[in-house]
Amino acid sequence: MAETMSVVLNVNGAGRSVSVEPRKTLADAIREDLGLTGTHLGCEHGVCGACTVLMDGEVVRSCLMLAVQAGGAEITTIEGIGAGDDLHPMQRAFSEYHGLQCGFCTPGMILAGIDVVSRNPDPSPQEIREEMGGNICRCTGYQKIVESVQAAAAIMSTEGGSA
Amino acid sequence: MTTTQETRWIGVSAPRREDAPLIRGRGRYIADIEPAGTVHMAILRSPYAHARINGIDTAAAEALDGVYCVLTAADLEGIGDFPTIWRLPGQKESNTPALAPGKARYVGEPVAAVVADSRYMAEDALDLLDVDYEILDHVVDVEAALADGAPVINEDLGDNTIIEYTFPGINALGVAGDIDGAFEEADEIVSGRFKVGRYSGVALETRGLVAEWDDLRQTLTLHSGSQVASLLRTELAAALGIPETSVRILTPNIGGAFGNQWDRYPEDILVSLASMKLGRPVKWIEDRREALQATVHGREQLQEWQLAASSDGTVLGLKGRVLSDQGAHLHSVGIGPAWVTGAAAVNQYKIANYHCDVVGVATNKTPNSTFRGFGGPEAMFGIERMMDKTARRLGIDPAELRRRNMIQADEFPYFSPGGAVYDSGNYPAALAKALEAVEYDKVREEQQSLREQGVYRGIGIASYIHVSGFGPSAILGILDYYTGGYEGSTVKIDPHGRATLYTGMIPMGQGTETTLAQVAADQLEIDIANVRVVWGDTDQTPYTGFGSAGSRSNVAAVAVIKAIEEIKAKAVRIGAGLLEADPDDVAYADGRISVKGAEEMRSLTLADVAQQAYWAHKLPEGEQPTLEATYVYDPANFTTACGTHVAVVDVDIDTGKIDWVKYVVVDDAGTIINPLLVEGQIQGALSNGLGGAMLEEFVYDEETGQLLSSTLMDYLVPSFTDLPDFEIHHLVTPSPHTEGGFKGMGEAGCFPAAPALANAVADALSHLGVEVDQTPVTPSRLWSLIDQAGG
Ligand code: FES
Ligand code: FES
Repeated sequence: MAETMSVVLNVNGAGRSVSVEPRKTLADAIREDLGLTGTHLGCEHGVCGACTVLMDGEVVRSCLMLAVQAGGAEITTIEGIGAGDDLHPMQRAFSEYHGLQCGFCTPGMILAGIDVVSRNPDPSPQEIREEMGGNICRCTGYQKIVESVQAAAAIMSTEGGSA
Repeated sequence: MTTTQETRWIGVSAPRREDAPLIRGRGRYIADIEPAGTVHMAILRSPYAHARINGIDTAAAEALDGVYCVLTAADLEGIGDFPTIWRLPGQKESNTPALAPGKARYVGEPVAAVVADSRYMAEDALDLLDVDYEILDHVVDVEAALADGAPVINEDLGDNTIIEYTFPGINALGVAGDIDGAFEEADEIVSGRFKVGRYSGVALETRGLVAEWDDLRQTLTLHSGSQVASLLRTELAAALGIPETSVRILTPNIGGAFGNQWDRYPEDILVSLASMKLGRPVKWIEDRREALQATVHGREQLQEWQLAASSDGTVLGLKGRVLSDQGAHLHSVGIGPAWVTGAAAVNQYKIANYHCDVVGVATNKTPNSTFRGFGGPEAMFGIERMMDKTARRLGIDPAELRRRNMIQADEFPYFSPGGAVYDSGNYPAALAKALEAVEYDKVREEQQSLREQGVYRGIGIASYIHVSGFGPSAILGILDYYTGGYEGSTVKIDPHGRATLYTGMIPMGQGTETTLAQVAADQLEIDIANVRVVWGDTDQTPYTGFGSAGSRSNVAAVAVIKAIEEIKAKAVRIGAGLLEADPDDVAYADGRISVKGAEEMRSLTLADVAQQAYWAHKLPEGEQPTLEATYVYDPANFTTACGTHVAVVDVDIDTGKIDWVKYVVVDDAGTIINPLLVEGQIQGALSNGLGGAMLEEFVYDEETGQLLSSTLMDYLVPSFTDLPDFEIHHLVTPSPHTEGGFKGMGEAGCFPAAPALANAVADALSHLGVEVDQTPVTPSRLWSLIDQAGG
C-alpha cells in the first residue's frame, strides 16, 4: 500500500476526513472516498468538463486537482444542488427543455450553467455558448442546453436560486 | 390499433422519465458500480502499429504487492473470440483476438492485462511488464496497403484485401442495368474522388465493465454498456466455453454509445476471464486514451465515383469503387458499413444504371466498425457531392438537378438498384420545404451581392435516405447477416391493472424508456404513470434480434403494440365471461372492457379484469391465468426515413474558418412518438455528423503508424461554439409497413450533415473552383485548398 495522507474535504456543507494517496485526484476522492458518483470522468485531462464541481463558488475541474489540495475549500457537487423534490431551477430547466440525453455531461453542465447565471443573470444564447465552451456534450448538439440555461436564468431572476 | 382521436401520448412531448436521477447526479453508470471485493483491471496496449511479440516477462509485475494476476495470450488457451456477424460471401474472416497472439497489429491493441487492488496499482504494474517487441513494417493507408509488397497485416489471409464485393445494379425486374451503355450515351461524365475521414462516436463516458463470477452457482454477471446485450450474452458464453444459461448481462445507465457499443470487444472476455480465475468481481474502466485507440473507429473510406448525365440533367448512370479502411481486424460487423454505402449510394434518385465495387482493406489501424449511420453518411457524402459537381458542370441549379432526378411520391415501393426497397416518402416535397424554410432564392441573391463585398457565402443542399428498421430476418439471412431483425416485448398487467413492459432495447440517452411507455399507455389507454418499463437485464428482458440503435425504437414499438393487442384480446375474453356476454359483443376502449352499446351499465375496468385473471376463479374454459403477453415482431420490411438539409455558411478566405449562417433540416421519419425527443435526436446526430465534417479525425502518422489524435486535445469534438442552431421541420409520411407508421430516426441527422457542409463550402468558393472532397474540412485543410486555388 502506498503512503496515504489525511485531508478534510468540505463537500456540500459537510466536512469529512479522508485518507488518500497524495496522487489521488479530487475527482476520484469525491467518487470513491465520499461515494458521490454524480461527478463524472470523461477525459481525466481537463478537456471535457464532466468532472466540474464548484469550489469556493468557482467552477473547477476535479480531475485536474489532487484531493490533498482541496482541504479547507468549500466544494459543491451535483448532489449538493437542489434538495429532494425541491430541484434547482437549472435542474428543472434541463429536464423541461430536454437539455440532457445520456446524462453523463449533465452534472457538469448544470454546475457550469449555475455558474454562468450567477455571474450573468440574463445571458444571451451566444454568451452561454461562449461561457460554457469548456463543457463537452456528445449527445445533444448543445442547442437544448443553451435553451435550458436561458430558461433557468429567467426562472432564477424571478424565483431566486443559487448554488 | 388505437385510432387517432383516442391517441393521448403518441405525438406528445411527454417528459422523460429517465431525467429524474440524471439531473440529481444519481444516474448509475458503469464506473459507479463496485460490488464488495472488487479488484481492478488495466490493460497493456501495443505502442507499435505492427510488431511481433517474442515474449512477455510478467515476473516483476506479478511480484508487485497488490497485484492478483497478469493475463497474456498464453492464458487464453481454449478461449475463443467473437465472430464477425456479417459474413459476406468471400469475406476473409479475421476475428478480433482478446489479446494480440504473437503479433500486435495496431497501436492500442491489447497485449496483456493486469488485475490489482486499485486501478492506480494496476497501472503501476503495467509499467513493470517487459514485452519483447520486434517492430515490423506497417501500413496505415488503404492504397498503400493494396500495393505490391505492402506489409501483410494477417499473413493467414495472404494479402490485405479482405473482400471485393460488387453491386451489379439489379433493377426491379431482376436484371442488371446497362452501365456501359449509360456512359456511352452520356453528354457529360463527372468524376469525384472522396476521402471520408476516420472518426467515431467518442461517447463522453468511456467504455467499462464489471464482471462477477459466482463459482458456487457457476454464474457470470457482466455489467456492460453493450447496446446488444442478448447477442453479447450468446457470444460471450461461447467464447468462454460456458453455458449461455450461466451468463447474465446487466446494463446500467450508458453515457452515450453511438453504435460503438453495438460491437463485442476483447475486454468483455478479459474481465470475465479474470473474474472466473480470481473468484472476485473485476472492474475495468477505459481511460480516454484507450477509448480513442481501442473503441472502434468508423467511416473511413476512399471513394471514386463517375456519374453519367445528359445535358438536361438526367442522371443516366453511376459507378463507383469504395475502398474501406477496415483497420487490423474485422470487428463484429465486418465490412458491413461499407456494404451499406454501396447499397445506399443511389440515394433519392432514379438512377437506372448502377455499379459499385466495395473493397475491404486491412491496415495497421484500430478496427473500423459500427458507428451511428453505419455506412449511410459515407454514401450520402459521395452522391451528394457528385450531384453538386454535376450541377456545376451542367450549369443547372443544384436544387433543380436534384428535383429532376428524384423518385416521385407515387413511385413507392421503389426497388433501388442498390438492392433496397424504399417503402415511402415524398422527396420533392421535403426538398421544396427545405428550400422554402431557408428562403433559397433570397439567399442565392444575397450571395451575389455579398460576394461583391468580399463575403463568401455558400449554400449546401444534401438530401438523404436512411434505410432503417433493419429488417425482416429472412432478408438479413440473404445478406449473410447472422442475427435476426426482430425485437420482442413482454407486457404484464398486474392485478391492480398497471402495466410493466419488458424490452430488450437499451436506453442510451435517446429516451427509449419514455417513448415505449408512451406507446404502451396509448395502446392500453391508461395513464402513462401506470406503465413501468424494465430494461437492461437479460434474465428478465426478451432476446433482441438486432439490438439497440438510435433507429430501432420503431421496431420495438411495434412489438409493444402487438403484445398489448394480445392482452386486450384476452381481457375481452375474460371480461366477456364476467359480464356474461358474448366476446364478440365486448370491446376494449378507454382502458375498460365493456359490452358494446351498454358501456355505461355493463363495463369493467382493466384492474377488475386483471384481478380476476390472477384469482383465476372464473376464467373461460381453456384460458390461462394472469394477464401477460410476449410478442416478437419481425419487421415486414425496412423503413426509409428521408429528408433534405440545407447549410448556409460564410467562409473566411484568409483563414479557412467557416462561420454558420443557417442550418435547416426537413426530415420525414413517419409517425413521431415524441416530438421533443425527436428534435433532440436530430440535433445530436447532426453534431456527430458535423463533428466529422469539420473537426473530428483519427490521424495516423504514416512514418510511425502512431495514432496522433489520442487525447481530446488532439481529437477535437465540437464544442458549444462550433455548432449552429438547427431549424427543424418535419414531413410525416407514415411507413406503410409498420403498425403505427414509425420509422427509425435516431441516426438520420448525421446522414446529410457532411455533404451539406462540404457543398456549402464549395459553393462559397466556387469562384476559385475549390472542391471539398475530404472530411473533416478543418480550417487548415480548407486554407490550403484556397491557397492552392490561388485565393
Ligand atoms: S474529466 Fe475532468 S475535464 Fe474531463
Ligand atoms: S447528454 Fe450525453 S454527453 Fe451530454
